[in-house]
Amino acid sequence: MTTTTATVRSRPRITLAPTLAKPLAAAGGVLAVIAALLPWTTFVLFDNDEVNPSLQYFDAPFALSGYRLHTMLLGLAVLVVAFVPRIPGRARAQRALGFGIAAIGLISLIFLSYNGGGVGTVTAADGDAAFGAVVALVAGVLVVLSAIAAGITDIPDFPTRLPRLAAYGALVLAFAAILFLVAETLTAGGRSGVSNPYAGPTFLAFLGMAGGVLGALSGVGVVRWISALSERHRAFSIIILVLCALSLPLTSAGNAYWMTVATTIGVYAATAIGLNVVVGLAGLLDLGYVAFMGVGAFVAANLSGAATSKLGIELPFPVAALIAAILAGIVGAIVGSPTLRVRGDYLAIVTLAFGEIFTRSAQNDIGGLTGGSNAIPRIPDVELGGTAFNEEIQVGGLELPGGVLYYFMIVLVVGAVMAVFANLKNSRAGRAWIAIREDEDAARAMGIRTGKAKIMAFLVGATLAGLAGAIFAHKLTIASFDSFKFLESVTLLAAVILGGMGTIPGAVLGASLLFVLPEKLREFDDYRLLLFGLALILIMRFRPQGLVPDRVRRAELAGETATGKSIDEEEALVVEQEHDGPTGKKGGTA
Amino acid sequence: MTADPIAAGAPVLHAQDVTMVFGGLVALNKVSLTLEQGQVAGLIGPNGAGKTTFFNCLTGLYTPTSGRVLLNGARLAGDPAKVTIAGVARTFQNIRLFPNMTVLENVLVGRHSRMKQDPVSTLLRLPAFHRGERAAKERARELLAFVGLTRAEDEVARNLPYGDQRRLEIARALATDPSVLLLDEPTAGMNPQETEATRQLILRIRETGVSVVVIEHDIKFIFGLCDKVSVLVQGELLVEGTPEVVRADPRVIEAYLGKPPEEIEADARTAAEEHDKGEQA
Repeated sequence: MTTTTATVRSRPRITLAPTLAKPLAAAGGVLAVIAALLPWTTFVLFDNDEVNPSLQYFDAPFALSGYRLHTMLLGLAVLVVAFVPRIPGRARAQRALGFGIAAIGLISLIFLSYNGGGVGTVTAADGDAAFGAVVALVAGVLVVLSAIAAGITDIPDFPTRLPRLAAYGALVLAFAAILFLVAETLTAGGRSGVSNPYAGPTFLAFLGMAGGVLGALSGVGVVRWISALSERHRAFSIIILVLCALSLPLTSAGNAYWMTVATTIGVYAATAIGLNVVVGLAGLLDLGYVAFMGVGAFVAANLSGAATSKLGIELPFPVAALIAAILAGIVGAIVGSPTLRVRGDYLAIVTLAFGEIFTRSAQNDIGGLTGGSNAIPRIPDVELGGTAFNEEIQVGGLELPGGVLYYFMIVLVVGAVMAVFANLKNSRAGRAWIAIREDEDAARAMGIRTGKAKIMAFLVGATLAGLAGAIFAHKLTIASFDSFKFLESVTLLAAVILGGMGTIPGAVLGASLLFVLPEKLREFDDYRLLLFGLALILIMRFRPQGLVPDRVRRAELAGETATGKSIDEEEALVVEQEHDGPTGKKGGTA
Repeated sequence: MTADPIAAGAPVLHAQDVTMVFGGLVALNKVSLTLEQGQVAGLIGPNGAGKTTFFNCLTGLYTPTSGRVLLNGARLAGDPAKVTIAGVARTFQNIRLFPNMTVLENVLVGRHSRMKQDPVSTLLRLPAFHRGERAAKERARELLAFVGLTRAEDEVARNLPYGDQRRLEIARALATDPSVLLLDEPTAGMNPQETEATRQLILRIRETGVSVVVIEHDIKFIFGLCDKVSVLVQGELLVEGTPEVVRADPRVIEAYLGKPPEEIEADARTAAEEHDKGEQA
């Protein structure tokens, strides 16, 4: 059954007349633009305030920057989307843009009134009025309402059979845009600290803006189109993606600090992909996974000639990392063996216990190999041809920031880990893992030796984590039990679930978010874990299938089938077939 | 399918005095079954007679308390995976597909024990890997065509209509290249057309040289399909023989059927009417 016109999919609880869609969108868009030009605070909040230096922007509209600029751009985008004829998936785009505007307004509202000492900061006080944030919030809500009035339709599909050059061009542009977005996201709000009170909210507002724009692009089908294109030209996409990742040091994120942040993200992304093998594919809930990363880190530390290491061995980094990965894998297989007897919740308890045993043992310096609470400091830098990986380097006329070599290394490692994951997932072993996750008894009846397969899953996952741990130890130059506690395991698990179980981009995105957010929200100190938890709850409430869901999980939780059709459509199809009867005769049932 | 209909005669599956005791309950008492190549055997009996327990003993899910199961003369191990590898495949009474995998992937899982893949060629995507995958997919598609699910190849299994799920389970079981296929109530919940289609499908499976054992409540279906029928009552094998013999056996009529099949319905109607009257009174 082919649908020529997009069918209205979900029936929202609020119903509005479709005729209201355009006026609401127009009002929302105009209000967002006005909000950007309005003052947002009734007085200057901080000394040397660079974000809100002047309270008035009507006189200098081109001086807009930061979240006010984003508000204005989103508002203009709303107007464009509303009045350009024949935009497919218009309502989805509007809804995303509306949420983006509302998010900027709400975040600013909360932050400014909290720091200004009351709601007066963002409304009226001392004879000054500043309704920017409030107006932005209202504008966002109006735009969302306009989308509801118009009715959410299916995401449109675009043809993916293009001339090779056109497809390559589109992919290069798309990945360049992603690189730009990543660099901007990393540096949005700047480095968090006392001197920069706006870092946290600016970053969050930027996320709101980026989420709005990405949601809009996905709503009009661009994201799906690009991912279909990259699926079609897989090899080319991978090359471009790696090149883009390698050119991050050339962007605004090109200094030692952001390189360190990016490297840390990479380490956790690699670990999250490893965990995705165990949890996402094989369905084995592992609550002590970070311990394998710890094993890798401590083994690498001891083999690399750290000053306090009792072994006194100094191996070159690749050898040490390899041994670390293998040993972590062996430990993984040992820990995995109880899984032959326990399932589900009980397995979670066993792995939790293992994680605790590891942390406590490391803390108490069991065997003298973990340094106890003193950790193992001064792990020597990785060196290549006399260049330490933490130094700044010069390639031709190009100056690259310190730590860039670690960043390059982790990009390649993450790439390799991704390849391992993808190649395993679409193979005999990967199918066996997924079958075990789906129905263990049925899997056994299909001739799968489930015990062997589960231990393999633990072994592969732990090996990847061990490799990541080795790099982690060298980058930080210290291996401490403190980095491998229960909270880290839970955060990794959250990264996998949040990003989307069983997918690579999901794990990477999840890990990035979960390890950047706390970094960016540093000046909220006491509140940052609270905010962090709140963000998690919101994401899981509104996108339970994860940010980048597996084709099938999407089908399960978002009312779509694997072929991308909506459930309603499929049901119509089934009803039609049943009506025709199995032989195709109308009313065939007697 | 290896389309070589071998003449019936060689015994493939031989269950000898299989006894299964759970605590004090004797679920199966010295049940024997011989299956020759290309034969379709039916297993009938009232609820709780031990039919599924017998299947579980055959497939290694249970280890019989005593007795043994031979496949082509070799004793079967008490491990479902090993039994499947040896050549006995099964479907489940309550469908147990891998619900979130596609139809094709479900069948590919069935190929698991029949394909070799070493880690190196898998990770590096060497030609050997692609050859193996291609062959497995080819075979899986063949089987999907065989059961009539070609069109649904990319559907997620959970979204298939009920009858198609049953057929997919059969295709998945056939993917393990079994010499014996055990079907546990393959027509449960089906309408008459679907039941007839299933009967045709089982006959076609037999033509390919696979021996089949079917558990079913639908007696008409069993008598119209099977070369031989075994009747289980309270864990004991009551009668074994051709449908004609079983149908005519007074013990079966007495213990299981009560009356000839065509009279059962009439009986049931009378009983229902009397029940209604009783309630009205």
